[in-house]
Amino acid sequence: MILSKRGASLIAPAASIGVFILLWGIISLNVSAEFLPSPLAVVKEALRLLHANIGGTSLWGHIGWSLRRVLIAFFLAILLGLPLGLYMGWNRVCEKIVSPIFEVLRPIPPIAWIPIAILWLGVAEGSKIFICFVGAFVIMILNAYTGMRYVDPLLIDAAKSFGANRTQQFFNVAVPACMPSIFAGVQNALSMAWMCVLAAEMVGARQGVGFIIIQGMDLNKPAMILVGMVLIGIIGSLLAATLRQAEKLLCPWRRELV
Amino acid sequence: MLQDNQNQDARTPGIKIECDNISKAFHVPGQDRLLHVLDRVSLQVYENEFLVILGPGQSGKTVLLNCIAGLIEPSAGETRINGRPITGPGPDRGMVFQRYALFPWKTVEHNVAFGLAVRGVPLKERLAKARHYIKMVGLEGFERAYPAQLSGGMKQRVSIARAYANDPDILLMDEPFGALDAQTRYAMEQELRTIWEKERRTVLFVTNNIEEAIYLGDRVVVMSALPGRVKTEYAIDIPAPRNYTDPAFLALRKKVSDDTELVL
Repeated sequence: MILSKRGASLIAPAASIGVFILLWGIISLNVSAEFLPSPLAVVKEALRLLHANIGGTSLWGHIGWSLRRVLIAFFLAILLGLPLGLYMGWNRVCEKIVSPIFEVLRPIPPIAWIPIAILWLGVAEGSKIFICFVGAFVIMILNAYTGMRYVDPLLIDAAKSFGANRTQQFFNVAVPACMPSIFAGVQNALSMAWMCVLAAEMVGARQGVGFIIIQGMDLNKPAMILVGMVLIGIIGSLLAATLRQAEKLLCPWRRELV
Repeated sequence: MLQDNQNQDARTPGIKIECDNISKAFHVPGQDRLLHVLDRVSLQVYENEFLVILGPGQSGKTVLLNCIAGLIEPSAGETRINGRPITGPGPDRGMVFQRYALFPWKTVEHNVAFGLAVRGVPLKERLAKARHYIKMVGLEGFERAYPAQLSGGMKQRVSIARAYANDPDILLMDEPFGALDAQTRYAMEQELRTIWEKERRTVLFVTNNIEEAIYLGDRVVVMSALPGRVKTEYAIDIPAPRNYTDPAFLALRKKVSDDTELVL
């Protein structure tokens, strides 16, 4: 019974992706290759690009550049956004000071920061990392903040009733209590950073997965564009899966719920 | 000097907790009026007594308990423990909440050891103590389980063990069995009484259930609906072990029901 369940959990996604590729293939047969290349053409293009030199960098090199930007921005966003968000949710004074500014900055999409980021930091790495950082940072703050605001006051009362001081209430009760929303925030922040890096790389980059897409467009190679897009999807979901595993390790009490 | 004398005078032998004319009113959010929850409540709880506060759903009994816990400050009047005014929560009081208030990220043993951890008791020592109380509430073998894996009755056992493990003089219990099904509730009432016979503490137990009040209490204080006032009190002199269907029990239950017009 368990085995068949496990089997089903592998078969179902494989089948859904299979059907998707099949539909894609059928449609591509009925339109021109410039409009929509077939799945096979995309695979061939991917294999070609594996050994090709794309604008001076290998395919793996481009992936590496994108990942490097994303990860630097992501860790900076956690380092700054997590404590700030948590403290905003914990301390009324901090909330009153920070949240009005935050409410105005929050609706500005990260892409809107591109021009000013380039103006401030140039077209080199700084501006790209900054844009990813903005996207991830806002999400990190927001999740940490709302997580903290929704910590069950009863748990804080329980801690108080055992004589826990303010610091102990914060670190021993409030922070672990919002671990689930912190993790949701970390995951969303990483996907946001990953989305932003592509936007940033489409403006004046010489390396990165975004550059592959732009190169594909410039060379009028739709298959190359699609390789870039598929790469984005695969790497994005691998990153998300890694974080889900990390959550399982770090929040064992939630693993028991599944 | 004078201060010292007054403190000594205030401490009547045997009185553990004292509420002296306490009132509590809350601002109604968005309205310019006060909601009077407690109205000049006076109450004494004696050392190692099991006192039950019985009242309808809205009678301020939880607020009264939170005042004694030090989580809420009364608007007027004074609460004292051992003759000293209560200024905040402290490890001399252990609380058991209706919604358990267990920490979901901690295992049973670490939940039970929480109060000791707060006080900086070394890990080995506090886990040893936690295991003793886990055994007392009959949860041996569940030390490493997480609260989400336990039933409601088991969670409340953990909560009772957690309160006991901190070694308080006073246990404050806020409708601890209110969320349990009837069968579990009876079992937990019996168990609590058994535990308390073994490890005597001053207990202040809040409930809206007449049967539970008479089964558990040495004394039952009845509160009115809002604003909460002390209406009357009963000394329960039915000897242990008590039985829910014993004629003396049923007679007392009828009397309390009639008096208080609480319909079950």
